[in-house]
Amino acid sequence: MSRKCAASCLLVLSGIGGLLFSAPAWAAKVPEPIVSFRLLTESEYRHSIADIFGPQILVQGRFEPGRRMGGLLAASSNVLSVTPAGFEGYAKTAGSIADQVTSPEKRAQFIKCTPKAASAPDDACAGQFIGRYGRLLFRRPLSSDELKSRVGLAAKIATSSKDFYTGLRYALAVTLLAAPEFLFQNERAVPAGKDLTLDAYSRASRLSYLMWNTTPDEELLHAAASGELASDAGVAKQVDRLMASPRLETGMRAFFADMLQLDTFDNTVKDTLIYQKYNAQFGPSATEETLRTAIDLTLKSNGDVRDLMTTRKTTINRTLAAIYNVPFDFDGEWMPYEFSKESGRSGILTQVSMLSMFSHPGRSSPTKRGVALMDIFLCEPTPLPPANVDFSIVNNTNGPLKTVRERLLAHATTPACASCHTHSDPIGLSLEHFDSIGSERLTENGAPIDVSGKLNKKSFDGAQGLGQVLHDDPKFTACFARKLYSYGVGANSEDVDAASFKAAYKTFTDKGYRLRDLLKAIASSPEFFKVSAPEPAEKMAMER
Amino acid sequence: MRFNRRSLLRGLSQGCAVSVALPFLDCFLDGNGTALAATAERIPTRFGTYFWGCGLTKELYLPKAVGQGYEMTPQLKSLSAYQKKINLISGLRAFADDNPNIQHWTGVAAISTGMAPSKDREFETQTIDQTIAGAIGHGTRFKSLAVACSGNKNESYSSLGGPNTNPPDVSPVGLYTRLFGPGFQDPSKGDWKPDPKVLLEQSALSVVDEDRKSLMQNVGAGDKARLEQYFTSVRELEQTMAAELQRPDIVAQVSIPSAPGEMPVNKSVPTLRKVVPVMAKLVALGLATDQTRVVNVALAEPASTIFMPGDSKPFHQATHEEPIDPALGYQPVTSQFSTYSMEMFAELVKALDDIKEGDGTLLDHSLILAYTDTGFAKLHTLEAIPMLLAGSASGRVKTGFHIAGEGGPVTRVGLTVQQAMGLAVESWGKASMETKKPITEILA
Repeated sequence: MSRKCAASCLLVLSGIGGLLFSAPAWAAKVPEPIVSFRLLTESEYRHSIADIFGPQILVQGRFEPGRRMGGLLAASSNVLSVTPAGFEGYAKTAGSIADQVTSPEKRAQFIKCTPKAASAPDDACAGQFIGRYGRLLFRRPLSSDELKSRVGLAAKIATSSKDFYTGLRYALAVTLLAAPEFLFQNERAVPAGKDLTLDAYSRASRLSYLMWNTTPDEELLHAAASGELASDAGVAKQVDRLMASPRLETGMRAFFADMLQLDTFDNTVKDTLIYQKYNAQFGPSATEETLRTAIDLTLKSNGDVRDLMTTRKTTINRTLAAIYNVPFDFDGEWMPYEFSKESGRSGILTQVSMLSMFSHPGRSSPTKRGVALMDIFLCEPTPLPPANVDFSIVNNTNGPLKTVRERLLAHATTPACASCHTHSDPIGLSLEHFDSIGSERLTENGAPIDVSGKLNKKSFDGAQGLGQVLHDDPKFTACFARKLYSYGVGANSEDVDAASFKAAYKTFTDKGYRLRDLLKAIASSPEFFKVSAPEPAEKMAMER
Repeated sequence: MRFNRRSLLRGLSQGCAVSVALPFLDCFLDGNGTALAATAERIPTRFGTYFWGCGLTKELYLPKAVGQGYEMTPQLKSLSAYQKKINLISGLRAFADDNPNIQHWTGVAAISTGMAPSKDREFETQTIDQTIAGAIGHGTRFKSLAVACSGNKNESYSSLGGPNTNPPDVSPVGLYTRLFGPGFQDPSKGDWKPDPKVLLEQSALSVVDEDRKSLMQNVGAGDKARLEQYFTSVRELEQTMAAELQRPDIVAQVSIPSAPGEMPVNKSVPTLRKVVPVMAKLVALGLATDQTRVVNVALAEPASTIFMPGDSKPFHQATHEEPIDPALGYQPVTSQFSTYSMEMFAELVKALDDIKEGDGTLLDHSLILAYTDTGFAKLHTLEAIPMLLAGSASGRVKTGFHIAGEGGPVTRVGLTVQQAMGLAVESWGKASMETKKPITEILA
């Protein structure tokens, strides 16, 4: 346990102005090196605010957009910074949150002390509020200096505005909510033998954002303060607790949304002249269907993750029923439904989400689908095509080549194209019985569609054939484990060493590919907290 | 006399906010309380970019004649009314040098940073609008603005370098709120006064800045750069807030419209035809009210997926899939999308020229660089990338020319633009694109 932190907990609890600013000498010691700064994603930010201040506090504003790297937005949290326009957005959001929290109607809920006078500073009361919310927002207690400067600001502003609560409002908005210690997860390291490992508070954050997609709760912060999280047994105990909570669903929904690239819907639009069934409900409905399928199968039924490729069970609403062309006969909004074997459907591969996100507005795209599926499920990104290729013979829909298959196969005549197209197209072509919005169609331009495909020398037929091949391919489960680990540590999945999740992957395979087993094995492994020293390493070593 | 945060905060702590606001206003108003008379010297020069993907159609846009009075070609027809206020630059090229030709990206990065990129969709260094904003953007509420007309929040070609780009506004109502929502006071109204909240916010920001040292001593080199960018952003907000304490000095004849309603924003051409004119007007108003001096407008991404309903091929697909019509000598469907992209640019030019300012228009006091990623999208060529410059930068640029670039580097335009905007730059660009040759024909 960090001594620095114990000191400020004590100071905050005491809440006495005099004590507040007299930190013991050792509190000024150089803190642990920060080994990574991870910018909170929008959903992490929203969940954190809802947990700290309650869901009635509205979060309105804009966020620095993420960039997908190695298949995951989570990886960009470790490389992105905050631009001027981005900070302007964060500052406005922070101001709006602080306005609500310190408003006359809501303040009693958050400010547990009463200032001596509402028109003047009160350092003890301000310190109590700032210390309490500072600890929650920074995911660790404030240092005495941090607290001192914030209480000082609150006093200054309370004096100039003649309002105690205005002081708190600015201290909260600007020095806590807009501070880098909140906007970024600051991960700090301590030595562990020859290596470095995350300190207890950083562990609490990493576990919490992976498993619940939110800020550490009171119990995790206690486990960090007491030093429990520094031990393997302590980590295991907290992992079990986090796993047992229904909030695990929130965490895993965030993971699946990222891994399955469901944010692609933000920029997906369909041509309504061609697809009359397309409307504003399309994207949100398709996203929800896929997340429900993933959560139902992997968490609620504790099923085999591989079945995501083959299951015909799903949950659909009225919008989706129209696209799937099945009757919607249900009282509620979401109807459990099982496709027939003859439907040709196979797991999330043939859900509206995957089929439509990786298509053009007016037609399907076997290449887009193939490239996306290889990247998402097999961790095999496709290199950029060569720049100077003439595609016109391949793609002229008015020419002699009727189907996409015929047109794509023409790529094979160009060796520079063939290497990649033989890689991804056969997968995409096997999904051609489904159009750009995911409805079934058996012909294209009057010609029957051939949906035979090939993956790693295995031939198959149609989506169900593809689903079975992926289900049986160890590359899929290894990729799944790689993505979950990378998501948790915020790394580019292409750069992650397989050794980091090898033991967890073995547990996953040995126990029948259950998400819970994989998650637990990853989160309780030392590799999950192992970090490398920041550059320049020599300087850090000297300082320590 | 200039006020700063500290002196005003002292004032605030001694009295109520309103009483300090009064002497403050005196700096900007004459004895009768009306704004000082407009003079040409006070009109700032603005800079902007307009980006569209997938280029133009050589057969349809390239005029035969060079110099002034060239014939307006079919693809430039929408700009006919402004021919005398724009320059067309053809025939310049981007060089990838040792880097690959990253499709639909090398050209974008070459034009906006002067360097061939090594990574896809990432700028190696700051984009030209940010260089210019660094010189002219301070003292306004927004150092620069970015707008993505097709609604994609990842679509911004304005960056300080690295993986971040400046996040764009992606809807008319969003842009309106940013410009004219909370924090904006109409400077033409008599009751304008500095908002005391700004002082409080600034004062609080300085506390965040104080944490900088303690954080910096504990981070590695990579994170240090990211943290530096964060703190730069904090300081920029402090500076832009300082601008909010001063009544903007506006010469342009504008009134602030009411907020636009929610409207669909996407990549279909009919939607863009509704959205782009609204976005263009708001951008022009943002410049006219001196809330920013630098804007970036992106029509769509470099591999542009704008589409026409009923046709299954979006722009980018069409560039690759559509054969060249042997009779016409070009791709007819593809060329339509290029024409639409110029029509949308004409909307921006129109919006700027519609605003009267001093003895001219807002366009006359602006310089807008319109550029694209390729000379021939079908083959992703880096040769003959078309560029346009609209506006005369308050007389520093001569207009009405077609300049044939004859294979020179695209950076010649970037250098010209920077010099026209008053930056002391003699050479710009890296490796094969390093140039010391601005387009002197158009520099006044």
